[in-house]
Formats: sequence, C-alpha cells, structure tokens
Amino acid sequence: MKRLLITSIVTAAMLTPVLAAQRGTAGTPAQVNTTAAGAVPRMADGHPDLSGVWWRGSDIGGRPAPGTPGALGGSPAGARGGGRGAPPPSFTSLYQPWALEKAKTLGDKDDPSLRCIPTSFGTLNVSLFSVGAVGQIVQTPKFVVMLTETYHGFKLVPTDGRAHRDDVPPSYRGDSVGHWEGDTLVVDTTNFSDVPWMFAEGRVSFHSDALHIVERYRRVDANTLEIEATVEDPMVLTGPWTVPKQTLTLAPFDQIMDLNCSGLETQSLMDAAAKQNYGKK
Amino acid sequence: MKRYRLHILAGSFVALLAFVMPAVAHHSFTAVFDQDQPVTVHGLITQIRLENPHSWFFLDVRDATGKVEKWAFEAGTPSGMIRNGFKPGIIKAGAEVTVKGIRARDMSQKMGMLRELITADGKVYGAFGSQVGSETR
Repeated sequence: MKRLLITSIVTAAMLTPVLAAQRGTAGTPAQVNTTAAGAVPRMADGHPDLSGVWWRGSDIGGRPAPGTPGALGGSPAGARGGGRGAPPPSFTSLYQPWALEKAKTLGDKDDPSLRCIPTSFGTLNVSLFSVGAVGQIVQTPKFVVMLTETYHGFKLVPTDGRAHRDDVPPSYRGDSVGHWEGDTLVVDTTNFSDVPWMFAEGRVSFHSDALHIVERYRRVDANTLEIEATVEDPMVLTGPWTVPKQTLTLAPFDQIMDLNCSGLETQSLMDAAAKQNYGKK
Repeated sequence: MKRYRLHILAGSFVALLAFVMPAVAHHSFTAVFDQDQPVTVHGLITQIRLENPHSWFFLDVRDATGKVEKWAFEAGTPSGMIRNGFKPGIIKAGAEVTVKGIRARDMSQKMGMLRELITADGKVYGAFGSQVGSETR
C-alpha cells in the first residue's frame, strides 16, 4: 500500500497475538474480571453511561487478556465490522488523483505527530485515542467528555441538541456535537484543522479541513464499547470511508495518565534518515 | 569508578533479521534504524524521559581510550512502557546499565533503538517495559 505512509510499528502491533494476562496501572498486573459482563450502566435520564477508561485489552506492546478483543490494531486484515457482502472500499482506494500523487511525495518523516501534533482521528480510528490506545470517557447529563492519554487530547461532545459552533477556529480534534439514537451515541465532528494527520487502516494520512467524521458509540454491556464511524473528506476522498467497527473493553483502572509529548529526537532522526533516502516510503 | 566499555557489533544477525518491532507509533522504526547495525553499550544512565512520541534513554559510555561518549536510545511509548512493567523512577541517573539495540541509520549520531536494557542486578527491560514474555517483544 504505497498510497499511505507506513507506520510499520502499528502494523507490527496489530500482529501481536492474544496470549496472556492483562496488566493494570503503572505496570502492576491487574486482576482480570472474568465474570460475565454486567448490564449497561445508565444515567439518571436513562441513556447509557459510557464513562470509563477504554482500551483494546492492553496497552501498546502489551498482551491482551483472554476474552478481550485482541491485539491492538482493530479488525484483522480484510475484516469489516458489521457489514455483509462485499467489503466497503478501503481508505486508500478513495484518494482523489491529486491526493494520491501527494501521498507519493510524503514519507514517515512528514508525520506531524513526530512534532507532537496530535492526530485528528486516532489509533484504530477511534476519536477517543490519539497516538496512544487508551482513553477515558466522563459523561455528564449535558456532555460526553473524551480524554485521550497522549498528546493532551480532549473532545467535548454536548448532547443537549445544540448545533456546531460557528465561532471557534479549526482545531486538531475538531468541533463535536452529539445526540442519542436509542442507546447509540452519535458524534458528529467537523471544523478540523488540516495540520494534523489521521489514522487510517494501520497507517496515517493527511486530510483537508473539510474532514467530517460521524461516530456511533454503543456500550453493549458493562465491559464493552463498540464504535463505528464514517469519514468524509470531499477535498481528498472520492466518497465516504466506512471505518471497520472497533470493539473496546473497560480497562481495569479508572484513571488515565497525563503523558506529555516533548521529544524531538525522533523527528531529528527521521530527518537525518530521510537524507539518506530512508523514510520516504 | 568502573571502567565502561563500548562494544559495537557490526553485521547481520539472524535474530535481528527476524526481528519485528512490536510497538505502535506514527513512524516507521525501520526507516530510522538499521537492523543490520546492532549495538551494545555499557554505561551510566544520565536521563530517562518517558514522553511521547517515544521514550528515550540517555547514557554516558566510556570507550576503550577513556573518552566518554553520549548515547541515546529510543524506546516505546510511555504508556506502553509503564503498563508493561517499567515503573517511572525505577532506574535512577547514574545507574549502570547495558543497552542492546540497533543503530540509527545516521551513523554520525550515537543513537539507536532500544531492544533490551539490563540493569547491574540483572533486571531486563524491553522497549515496552518489563521483559516478561519475550513472545510479545
């Protein structure tokens, strides 16, 4: 796949087998809850309460617990969540011709996240994540607050019916509004800056400021959160991209860490390697 | 003070050829680091930074002539390292360690990717924390 910039590390992690016990906070092994998942907790208004720390059953480089969705990276290659029949088009197949040509000129060294700029649509194509793969949701009667562990990311999702704001500048994480369709939280995000890149099928890609993401969050039981999404970018893509469904599990800890991004050594190494024609593709 | 040695291993090794970096990041390690240039250094930790996009280990390494060289090794994400067993502060500045890794393609820089860090008392850490379960590394 030459159209997107390779993040081989992500891909490698996607191949990590499901093997052993889950680990908890700060390196302390955590007792995995092997009991049957309980009922979906609910807010006073009756809507599902999505609050909790969510991940894929392990952190990056770790080993997912038995019974969790599996290794980081989402659905196996070729799998498309929820669909039947022919799989929807891949992200890369939707590039407009000019975007395809542009992608050929870019390499890993151009990824803004190396300069501590967060992703607009994070690891596993989950807005709850940025470059990492752990996030926390704090839900109130009027807001669903999504906190990402890396790069100081947050997303405020008002659920009281208000419209998108028209008085805020484009941002890395966009402007979100949400509403409930039954037990599913639908989050609509627009007004992105075109500076950050987005995660896309195990790789990363640039996008335009016309990026529009609609996500559907459904807590199917006490320990499981399913997320589906559709991505539109009429300046870059020829049509909507259906993101494979991601299934997250409730982590065995209730507080994410605050992890800074300040390291520039990686960027300098990428630049140096690029001069030797590495890191282009 | 003990004498610290620098030992650079050149050439290819089968184990490294089979090596697959099991991390998650938004850049390709293979674009930056050369699997055919393994390196082992022994020295004193000067700084450990658990930060994004990736953690870094800095150490002073004394070569055969007694000259101190400053080396830096890139490791995994801080969250991955911490949750996989690397407790912040567990290795202090001044600690004597051995680091095994592969060198940056830019050989003018004394930098590399950490594959294994071994403390003086024999504890082993990988690029993503405690070296338990090598099958995941």
